[in-house]
Amino acid sequence: MASKAKYKTAPLKTWEKAKELRLKYYEDYAKAHERGGLRWAGGAWSFSAVPSGLGEDVWSLTSEPYAASIAANKSLSLKCLEATEKAGYARDLCAYMRNYWGSILLDEYAFGGSFPKPDFIWQDHICCSHAKWYQVVSDLEGGIPHFSMDVAVGPYKDVAPHKIDYLVGQMHDGIEWMEKITGRKYDDALLIEAVKNEFRSTSTWAEICALNKHIPAPLEEKTMYSLYVHGTLNKHDRAVADFYDELLAEVKERIAQGIAAIPNERCRLMSDTQPPWGFLKIFRYMEEYGAVSVGSLYTFGLIGIWEDKPDGSWGPRTTPMQKGIEIKDRDQALRLYADWTLSKPEWQHFYSPHLKTEMMLRIAKEWQLDGVMLHYNRGCEGLSVGIAENRLGLIEAGHPVMSFEGNMGDEREFDEARVRDRFDAFMETLGVKRNGNT
Amino acid sequence: MANQPTLDVETFETFRNWRLKRADYAREWKQRTRGKIIGYFCTYAPEELMYAAGILPVRILGSHEVQDVTEPHIFAMFCPFCRDCLAQGLKGRFNYLDGITIAQSCLHIRQTFTSWQKHIPIDYSYYLPMPHHVQSRHATPFLTKELGVFRESLETWLGRKIEDKAIDNAIEVYNRNRQLLWEVYKLRLEPDPPLTGEEAMEMVLSSQMVDKRDHSDALESLLTRLPQRTSTRPTGTRLMILGSEDDDIEFIQMVESCGATFVVDDHCTGSRYFWNNVERSEDRLASIAERYVKRVPCPTKDWPTRTRVEHVLKLVKDYDVQGAIVMQQKFCDPHEIDVPALTKALNGAGVKTLFLEFDVTVPIGQFKVRVEAFLEMLQEDDLF
Amino acid sequence: MITVGIDIGAKTVKVVVAQDGKILGKGLVPAGMDTTASTQQALDAALADASVGKGKVEAYTATGTGRKDCALTDNQITEVGAAAKGMTRLMESCRTVIDVGAEEGRTVRCDAGGKVIDFAYNEKCAAGAGTFAEGMARALQVSLEELGPLSLTSNRAVQMNAQCAVFAESEVVTLIHNKTPREDIARAVLDAIASRIVSMVRKVGFEKDVALVGGVALNPGFVEAMKRALEMDVHVPAEPEYVGALGAALAAAE
Repeated sequence: MASKAKYKTAPLKTWEKAKELRLKYYEDYAKAHERGGLRWAGGAWSFSAVPSGLGEDVWSLTSEPYAASIAANKSLSLKCLEATEKAGYARDLCAYMRNYWGSILLDEYAFGGSFPKPDFIWQDHICCSHAKWYQVVSDLEGGIPHFSMDVAVGPYKDVAPHKIDYLVGQMHDGIEWMEKITGRKYDDALLIEAVKNEFRSTSTWAEICALNKHIPAPLEEKTMYSLYVHGTLNKHDRAVADFYDELLAEVKERIAQGIAAIPNERCRLMSDTQPPWGFLKIFRYMEEYGAVSVGSLYTFGLIGIWEDKPDGSWGPRTTPMQKGIEIKDRDQALRLYADWTLSKPEWQHFYSPHLKTEMMLRIAKEWQLDGVMLHYNRGCEGLSVGIAENRLGLIEAGHPVMSFEGNMGDEREFDEARVRDRFDAFMETLGVKRNGNT
Repeated sequence: MANQPTLDVETFETFRNWRLKRADYAREWKQRTRGKIIGYFCTYAPEELMYAAGILPVRILGSHEVQDVTEPHIFAMFCPFCRDCLAQGLKGRFNYLDGITIAQSCLHIRQTFTSWQKHIPIDYSYYLPMPHHVQSRHATPFLTKELGVFRESLETWLGRKIEDKAIDNAIEVYNRNRQLLWEVYKLRLEPDPPLTGEEAMEMVLSSQMVDKRDHSDALESLLTRLPQRTSTRPTGTRLMILGSEDDDIEFIQMVESCGATFVVDDHCTGSRYFWNNVERSEDRLASIAERYVKRVPCPTKDWPTRTRVEHVLKLVKDYDVQGAIVMQQKFCDPHEIDVPALTKALNGAGVKTLFLEFDVTVPIGQFKVRVEAFLEMLQEDDLF
Repeated sequence: MITVGIDIGAKTVKVVVAQDGKILGKGLVPAGMDTTASTQQALDAALADASVGKGKVEAYTATGTGRKDCALTDNQITEVGAAAKGMTRLMESCRTVIDVGAEEGRTVRCDAGGKVIDFAYNEKCAAGAGTFAEGMARALQVSLEELGPLSLTSNRAVQMNAQCAVFAESEVVTLIHNKTPREDIARAVLDAIASRIVSMVRKVGFEKDVALVGGVALNPGFVEAMKRALEMDVHVPAEPEYVGALGAALAAAE
């Protein structure tokens, strides 16, 4: 017998728009040449505003979300993974990378048709695999001009002029390189606009996530994945910044109306690392307990940019525009861009898991959590690095933690039944019963 | 150990003893010099700077023993080497260290450093953001600045300045050691090298554990005798071993007992450690930085061009390598990504490869079966 | 109050009939393909053993991998919860329960009342579990029952080098060819399993008194290997395979 709903729920009004925007992104990339435009491929963390200076007809394919899209399609994913293994690549490599390479090997674009070859590669390098991912892509496609930028200069708390110089120096070199290989003249005005869009979209996304501190949470994580994804596709695009403004307004409205993400919120959790994309229904299973994941450092801080607010809470970082800073030239734009991006929460743990633990403890406190679910993600070393120490840190601070092994992009490494079992045991530990059942 | 060639009693035994009794050496060194010892995890650590500060930098390695203590700290999907190293720390085997440092390269070993910082008592720790984009012209200026920050940190810890003269001296000491190691490696170019791969490994490993001056003295002594040394065993098939971190002496011994000799290597505890010298220039820190930026790279830093492939092919040609054993620590992503390209290049150059994944301990019996089959195949190729 | 606890495992179904925390009767049947049938069989056996009629049973609870498909009751408790409840009933001082079955290993930290504080499961890189032991016994050409006593006659530790279960079996063959005494190999195998299990145990930590339950706890050589790896004494209840079912029966009475 299901218990009576505690809160009212309603679907998101901006949901359809979110879906359309995403599909349009993948279509734009595929159709770029038809329109006489350019297309590039690179990571979701590549300083994507930079190639925007080449013109208004430049579209991108960001690697991780594309690979996640493949992973969500189990049969396509398996084909891709097997093609990559046949080509001699190890099974324990980054799962996104293997899905992506498979897509090229099979010449199958996950959104229909053959795989559209990029004109150039614009990549960032932070985990061990990033730049090397595209070395192989270039090999597979018979050679593509490739520029990767090293962003691993240390944690933001240690930021210093010479670190910014290193990033900006590479970006300046990258722009010159882009001009050479595309034959186009770079337009600084377009760069400045793209950079400002990105400041806006990433700050607004953080603001949206901060609203989830509310009880009940207006959003839950499974839905949030479909909303934050735009920040991983083209956060430098005005359409995305505008979309997030719209979404922010809607979420504020939901709070005002008392609309919750799930009707019987009883247990607030956060997750960590990417979810197993082929098994997002695990979130629906959680709902049977009234358990809701209100987010994670991953969802909040992969694209969201944050800062300490005057009242001591964690909130969206104030943009340069909000500070009244006028961006006048290329170098200034790049410097502000480098500093902004280096403060990304999801970049700090690369230098020490203890920095991440601090942020996770903060989320647990400010979002009033009852527990944490850690996905020991075999498919991504970059985000799983140090996760065992995060677990120890959370437990030390008194938070109940559940961990489960899985893989964000290789369904052969995810055991759904066993994960449910662990979740059941976790709920038992927290004293939370399934609705109407024991 | 029955097939062991006669070791040059004075020198190779010295190297082996330094390795087996490294803790004793370290403690004795501390007592003698009253200096501090810093353990480092990756060969990108700028040892010259630490040495100039009167510190003895030593490489932290694993023990090749099965352990059950690292699971709470490092997720088992990360490489066995990084877990083995942490286990040594947790078990107190490195309690003579005063500090630890890491120059960032791969993700896995970083966890050893950060877990060590939190759970094992040490006086000092330092994370150096060694750049990855070593093919960029901005890498050296960036690293030079970072070395300046590191220098200040060391000075604060030690309570005294690191003099320029001391840095000059350290560069000389390190260059000398590397030069001598090369000279020994040059002898391996010969049709019948006067040392085995096992002996070479003892030599290079021990250099990462002791004062370079002591090591260079031993090398100089060795070099007076080595060219005249006649081999007591047939060279057999000339092999190369390349890959990630590798200090598995037992494995090298096994292969060399099957009618083969390792004549050269390219791995993280082997030639990649010492292959490049510091070229002195006006700016001391810049010249040290340049050495680490321009050295034979770890795969994490070898992009967008794969410069290591070219380097390996040159070694193959120079050392007349007939077969290559491509090894890597289990789960090592950077090496795994390069393996197909490397293997293709080697095969293209007429060099067959045998790929093996290493763990803390290796199943010698099963590996021997594979190695013997590989050698047989190479020998048959020779006949045609 | 008479209650029944049903533990539907991968290989066997165990049933306990309990009253006021005491076991009245037990039944164990191979799970087979039809767990509904085997569950019924085990229940009948347990009731007969307890000399209790079916009508006297007031509540049922199921645990184990097959608990969700139990036709006899919707009441469930996870294996983690059941292990904690069952073991603390049998041994009041128990604070850590290590449960090693055919397929999985688990560790549970609990308080004096049998409430779970934390738990962990073995993950992919663990060669631990009963199935591995079976494979090794085969390679040694002894029965699974003989493996433990054989290992106890060894007084030498031989390290198994293969970290992966796939290589381990052929390494046993190599060790045999090298004339390593079989008892030393048997001990090495059990030490290797114990090492994996203790690796998992350390993740949540352990506190005395430590109990070892599940099918593999019946292997005396494994118990010794666990004591060596934990550097602590380990208690095995008289019938370790029934602890889960007992825990479920206790949960049914709540």
